[in-house]
Amino acid sequence: MKQFGKILKFELKDYAKNKAFVGITIFLVVAIALVMFFPRIKMLFKSNSVSDAPVEKAVILIKAEDDTLVDIVQQTFSSAFSDYNVQMTDKDTDSIKQDILDGNAQCAFVLTGPASYTYYVNNLSMYDTNQATAAEVLQQIYQMNTMLDYGMTPEQALDVMTLPIDGQVETLGKDQMQNFFYTYIMIFALYMVILLYGQMVAMSVATEKSSRAMELLITSAKPINMMFGKVLAACAAGLVQLAAIFGSALLFYNINQSYWGSNEIIGSIFAIPPELLGYMLVFFLLGFLIYAFLFGAISSTVSKLEDINTAVQPVTFLFVIGFIVTMISMSSGNVDTTLMKVCSYIPFTSPMAMFTRIAMGTVAWYEIIASIVILVGSTVGIGILSAKIYRVGVLLYGTPPKLPAIIKAVWKA
Amino acid sequence: MILELRDIYKSFGEKQVLTGVSFKAEGGKAFGLLGRNGAGKTTSIRILMDVFPANSGSVLIDGKPIDYSKVGIGYLPEERGLYPRKVIIDQLTYFAELKGMGRKDAVKSVDYWLERLGMTEYRNKRLDTLSKGNQQKIQLITALAHDPDIVILDEPFSGLDPVNAMLLKDVVKEQISKGKIVLFSSHQMAYIEEFCDSIAILNAGKVAISGDLREIKRDYPRDRLVVRTEMPEKILYDFGDACSRAENGDLLIQLNAPSEKKAIMTRLTENYDIDEVRVFEPSLNDIFVEYAGNSGKEAQV
Repeated sequence: MKQFGKILKFELKDYAKNKAFVGITIFLVVAIALVMFFPRIKMLFKSNSVSDAPVEKAVILIKAEDDTLVDIVQQTFSSAFSDYNVQMTDKDTDSIKQDILDGNAQCAFVLTGPASYTYYVNNLSMYDTNQATAAEVLQQIYQMNTMLDYGMTPEQALDVMTLPIDGQVETLGKDQMQNFFYTYIMIFALYMVILLYGQMVAMSVATEKSSRAMELLITSAKPINMMFGKVLAACAAGLVQLAAIFGSALLFYNINQSYWGSNEIIGSIFAIPPELLGYMLVFFLLGFLIYAFLFGAISSTVSKLEDINTAVQPVTFLFVIGFIVTMISMSSGNVDTTLMKVCSYIPFTSPMAMFTRIAMGTVAWYEIIASIVILVGSTVGIGILSAKIYRVGVLLYGTPPKLPAIIKAVWKA
Repeated sequence: MILELRDIYKSFGEKQVLTGVSFKAEGGKAFGLLGRNGAGKTTSIRILMDVFPANSGSVLIDGKPIDYSKVGIGYLPEERGLYPRKVIIDQLTYFAELKGMGRKDAVKSVDYWLERLGMTEYRNKRLDTLSKGNQQKIQLITALAHDPDIVILDEPFSGLDPVNAMLLKDVVKEQISKGKIVLFSSHQMAYIEEFCDSIAILNAGKVAISGDLREIKRDYPRDRLVVRTEMPEKILYDFGDACSRAENGDLLIQLNAPSEKKAIMTRLTENYDIDEVRVFEPSLNDIFVEYAGNSGKEAQV
């Protein structure tokens, strides 16, 4: 136990002194700060520009061929296109086109009848919604006029047109929209962290082996202490990094909360229910450990650093499959498919699959317990097995052995 | 303290690496473990250090199974290597701590050894900034800093210049005089012969010969004489096939039986101008070639 503590401390110190690790953490915190302060910074610039030089609105020209409509058209178009300077015109079509080409106006609607128009625009943007808005406005004008024709007072007509609808939602299961974003973030963070730190554990083991420091280590410390010390140090370093990133995100969000206002996505991320946060931690830790052990064990069989990637490929593959299955079912909206149910009990996929189902689907408590128990058992089992592989693996030099050979050697050891 | 490996068998897969290896090493004496490459030296050392277990056989201290929590072992592996990018004091302290030392004691002991080996100026430098010889001295500290009961040195002199070799010799002698078991593994026979009281020669996973080096030498049939003379031609002519010339110019005379020794010696001193005549004793090198070579003799203790 004492020896394990020493190894853990030594490895942790290694992360603290690792310039890349510290650099990436600081970079991410700064990036998060920039994102979180963005609305405040934007506001700062906005208020400056408003006071200094008022922005000139783009001009929309409207020509109504039916003169009786001019007033109501100007009124409704002005309120519908509030970002534009809506101007009525009676110029002919050619001069309107010229105005647009000269840049005097951005676009123009020539209303040829109560339900038809021609839209003149220089370059039609992919995101141009003006036509949809115009269609809506014209429809309103037509409905309004019809109601007035049938003898309604303008007030009555307006009441009919602007009837407020009172709707309420009662979510009996999960609000997938609400939970989607932090589930997405957790799955993605798990993906990044496992690949990044798994690689780090693998590198650390392979470096010790290739520098032959292993010759001394293996005679100085118990393999199980070495393995658990290394993996738990990586886990702790990963958690510290995540805590720094999410902690600073939360802090900066709270500082700038008023500027974010009612941004639902950001709001939903920080409104994660505590019990889900608990599950997130449990699955995150176990998922991380099980993969880190595998990465450590496999890299111990490699003699050269450049062989690591090839050696860990099967594990990476397994992990990416789990990731893709989870991601696809998340975006399809149905996270309780048979495939996901199976995946939520397989230890290599359950951290992602089960967490997603808890957050976005319907899971009974005993299913969660069963999944966690299987995962804990497999993590401990794989930890012990990986220490055994490690002991055999670190003494093997030359070409990396095939899997059956390793299993045989571990079995006999 | 007596360290004993008794009847150790070890195989990796189909390959039998050790077949009934047994030897004894005593405290206060140096023991030489010899053998050609692949003879099983490193495997024996690893079993002794509990890196992996033997298939059968036992490692004993004073006749009882070794208790690794009580017996400290220091090891200088043949394949040298530490953390190239880490500061020397940090990694040396780490290794001493792994061997069970407290932090303060570890730093103190490492500082003592840095001083002793003239390496104090490199204390806070990264290992990869040092020359190969100096790196080797740093590695030696990992074998000694925790004051082990058994010191295992695998090819300790390779790569050292004569001054550093002398320094290492002093350190080894000091360890021996402290009553520790010093186990050497080397191909440099001169060093083994200088330090080791007893040896074991491994050949293809078996002990070809082991025991006290002087006794081994004495057990050789005393049926050859070494003659140094100013008139070798005459002796060569007179003794015919029984006499041959050694590489250093001395003559070697083969006797029909050891009992002839006195008569032949008298004949030589009375009839020729002889500078020196003595019974031939094999060097360790001769013994090694004889027992570890391809036509190596079978075990005889």
